[in-house]
Amino acid sequence: MSTFWPLVVIGLFTGSIYGLGALGLVLTYKTTGVFNFAFGAVAMFCAFVYWQIHDTWHWTAWISIPLLLLVVAPLIGYLFELLFRPLSGLAAEVPIVVSLALLALLEVGAQLIWGGQERGFETIIPTSSFKFGSFYVGWDQLGTLIIAFMAGGFLWWLLRHTRFGMSTRAVVDNRDLAAIIGVSGDNVRRFAWMVSSTFAALLGILLTHSQELTTYNLVLVVLVSFAPAVMGRNESFPWAFGGALGLGVFTSVLHRWSTSGTVANIEAAVPWFLLFIFLIVLGGRLKEPGLSVRPMAVATGTLSTGDMEHMSARPRIQRAVALGVGAFAVAAVLPTVVPGPQVSVLTYGALWALMAVTLVVLTGWAGQISIAQVSFVGVGAFAVGHWAGAHGQNFVPAALAGMAIAVPLGLIVGIPSLRLRGLYLALATLAFALIMDYVVFNSVGISGGLTGILDHRPRIFGVSFASTTSMYELSLGVLGVVLAITFALRQGPIGRRLRILRDSPLAASTLGVNLTVTKLVTFAVCGVVAAMAGALYGSYLQSITPINFQFGLSVQLLLLVVFAGRSVLTGAVVAGVLAMIPALIVSLIGGGTIGANVGNWITLAVAVGVIGLGRNPEGTVSLSIQEAKRTLSVMRPRPRRYLGLGSPLAPERLEVSSGG
Amino acid sequence: MAAEDSAVLSARGISVRFGGLHALDEVDLEVAAGRVTGLIGPNGAGKTTLFNVLGGLLEPVAGSVHLGGADITTWPPHRRGRAGMARTFQRLELFTGMTVEENLTASWEAAHPGAIFGRGRPTRKQRVAEMMELLGLERIAGRTAGELPTGLGRMVELGRALCADPRVLLLDEPSSGLDVGETQHFARILRQLVAEAPHNGHDAGQPLAILLVEHDMALVMEVCHVITVLDFGRRIACGSPDQIQGDPAVRAAYLGETDVA
Ligand SMILES: Nc1ncnc2c1ncn2[C@@H]1O[C@H](COP(=O)(O)OP(=O)(O)OP(=O)(O)O)[C@@H](O)[C@H]1O
Ligand SMILES: [Mg+2]
Repeated sequence: MSTFWPLVVIGLFTGSIYGLGALGLVLTYKTTGVFNFAFGAVAMFCAFVYWQIHDTWHWTAWISIPLLLLVVAPLIGYLFELLFRPLSGLAAEVPIVVSLALLALLEVGAQLIWGGQERGFETIIPTSSFKFGSFYVGWDQLGTLIIAFMAGGFLWWLLRHTRFGMSTRAVVDNRDLAAIIGVSGDNVRRFAWMVSSTFAALLGILLTHSQELTTYNLVLVVLVSFAPAVMGRNESFPWAFGGALGLGVFTSVLHRWSTSGTVANIEAAVPWFLLFIFLIVLGGRLKEPGLSVRPMAVATGTLSTGDMEHMSARPRIQRAVALGVGAFAVAAVLPTVVPGPQVSVLTYGALWALMAVTLVVLTGWAGQISIAQVSFVGVGAFAVGHWAGAHGQNFVPAALAGMAIAVPLGLIVGIPSLRLRGLYLALATLAFALIMDYVVFNSVGISGGLTGILDHRPRIFGVSFASTTSMYELSLGVLGVVLAITFALRQGPIGRRLRILRDSPLAASTLGVNLTVTKLVTFAVCGVVAAMAGALYGSYLQSITPINFQFGLSVQLLLLVVFAGRSVLTGAVVAGVLAMIPALIVSLIGGGTIGANVGNWITLAVAVGVIGLGRNPEGTVSLSIQEAKRTLSVMRPRPRRYLGLGSPLAPERLEVSSGG
Repeated sequence: MAAEDSAVLSARGISVRFGGLHALDEVDLEVAAGRVTGLIGPNGAGKTTLFNVLGGLLEPVAGSVHLGGADITTWPPHRRGRAGMARTFQRLELFTGMTVEENLTASWEAAHPGAIFGRGRPTRKQRVAEMMELLGLERIAGRTAGELPTGLGRMVELGRALCADPRVLLLDEPSSGLDVGETQHFARILRQLVAEAPHNGHDAGQPLAILLVEHDMALVMEVCHVITVLDFGRRIACGSPDQIQGDPAVRAAYLGETDVA
């Protein structure tokens, strides 16, 4: 009794913070169909802006708070609306990836502006406490609770008693009808984005009372609001808010048993366990407006009239093989002309390309979005770190063990995919990645804590790969083999099976494809190959810490692949090249101030690139191929098929009829 | 004639509810080999819903579905697909990112999982080539399916369904989006399919059974041997095209509606 109630009250305080986040998330999802993965990043960014205005420029709180809540935050919301507006009506994956890109953008943006270190923060509510019954309550905690409830009440009032509320409901119920009766969807959506963004800002400055003001930490804390938002099925405000309070109380009461170590780690992951289970249980009942639209977006491609479309598959394959073999040969002789440090960088690129291949197959071909791929890399890396032996002599069995562990894990991530796709699958994989972060990678026994563990260069059948060049050759060799196998698979039955899964699971199932088996096997196999990449990656790095496999890196991998081209193997190679650019620059110009930030700049550029791609979710590689085809077809003389091959079904006729 | 005896696919007492709406109310249906069975009814009558029940995409609250003597009511869609049921969709469900040829090939592979590797390959190529020839798709074999106009898309969907070597073929408004010429071409193909010599798919020897949902009355009356009429989720009539045309209940529910329009 005496310890229970205080925990409940404290739980309500933390819960109200998540509640604020959940309300903001549901608001934009309901009105615009965009689940804002960047919500936490907006909160973090606003907290830093506030820190800048208030703590650095010393403006008074009476000016800085209104400035933040009424000008800065709404402005960010306004910009978000501008970015997302052209994306409405596209496949669910597009806004997901764009909002993940915004998350990365704001995160590295904040790091570039304010640096990664922790900032002291002058609190806006006094932190002193008062006695409430038998225990102490901080004024800031109470203040947070009150502010959260006031914000909730404000939202309720807004939706119930204002014109905005009426318009919102009209737009949510039926967009077309709303337009007919003169309600502008654009205005409603813009306003929703601005309000949601203000909620994020409020959340940001409230959080700085209890959290360290670092870019990474703040984002991570706000992510917890995803769980209650989904509990409210992304549509009910009371359920989302109530779910957040419940979650707060639940985790707080759990605290009673927590000491440290494993228990504490599991406790931190509780919201993610709940979210994962929730998604599986709710399954098909979660409605996603975007899904009535064609999944994934090859169909948005323009009609291509170039000859290549009609070229039979064989020469195309031959050319791709020739190009691939040529590129591989060039990569293989590179170490003879490139100095050591750069060879090491090339290894890094090859291994990222290897990780990217698994994501191309999983997300690009099979259409199963995943924000957890780097977690599998971690499994392989730590397995090798622990079991490969001091000279890497047991590398092969250790790597195989890691790959074997990846099988059940892959099946577990695969389970949500049986009933979910698009946004909810993305959320489930995110939850999985965070569970892995907290429970597995944060566990000292596995990862050695923050200092990490040593990993060893492999020795395979007596051959040592300790030198930089030999490690590069090994990585490149494995990449080459994996690329060759996947390329061969793509042309055959397995490739087709994966692609029909993406294009129309519905039709595939009626034709006799067992979706359950196909999806689970795909997740497991991609997980296993990622673990294999991890085994090499770990021994390449030689020292690994949990930070090497955080969920944020899965986000980065996804962004790289999407930017480069998620459904072609060339995209995976380009992703690897992009990944190694920061290290390459550093190795060329040396560390220093520029070098330290190169990684951030590249991430920033990729994030901007992904946002810019928007309507072309097939990525830059596909885009450039299309462009090249168009240029070629313009330069060529008229195609031969015009000469006397007219038939009712000739392609020339089709384009005419498709226009009508 | 005793339709029940030769019924390849039959549904009995199927009921489906969406909340309070009785989308289907104890509906019976038989689909016989070598026949085109029509399923007609005004918009919202429950035709697509019945298709979804037959295909296993929707679980009925009551009733049973039998395929060639086996009770398949609880079978998942893919099992029905392998047992010889194939369908097209009212809203096209093409494999949009793949070529026309790949669409058909993938279908054949899905329906013949054992024959994917090695031995099955020549059969597969031959079957796909036959289908493309039959439907006049050779000229667009290399085109991406997602880029095709609806009319051709419907042809590709038909070809894809046929490549699974089905014994029952369910077609949901296949002629919508086709022009007059294409519709004629399509009607010819349908008749040819049911009349054709036994194909090499499931239980060879029995000709194909087709269930056709269609709004184009001329086409329905022309190709169907038997017609079932649904209205508000109930079966209001069943008989030959002549009987249906003369049926007063059908006139009131369905044809009457078009007269007014
Ligand atoms: N998933 C669903 N949830 C709720 N109601 C549904 C659902 N699917 C269909 N309905 C309703 O069930 C009824 C039957 O729909 P169905 O699509 O089967 O009609 P139909 O005969 O195919 O019509 P049409 O000729 O327009 O294709 C309609 O009133 C429809 O609104
Ligand atoms: Mg219908």
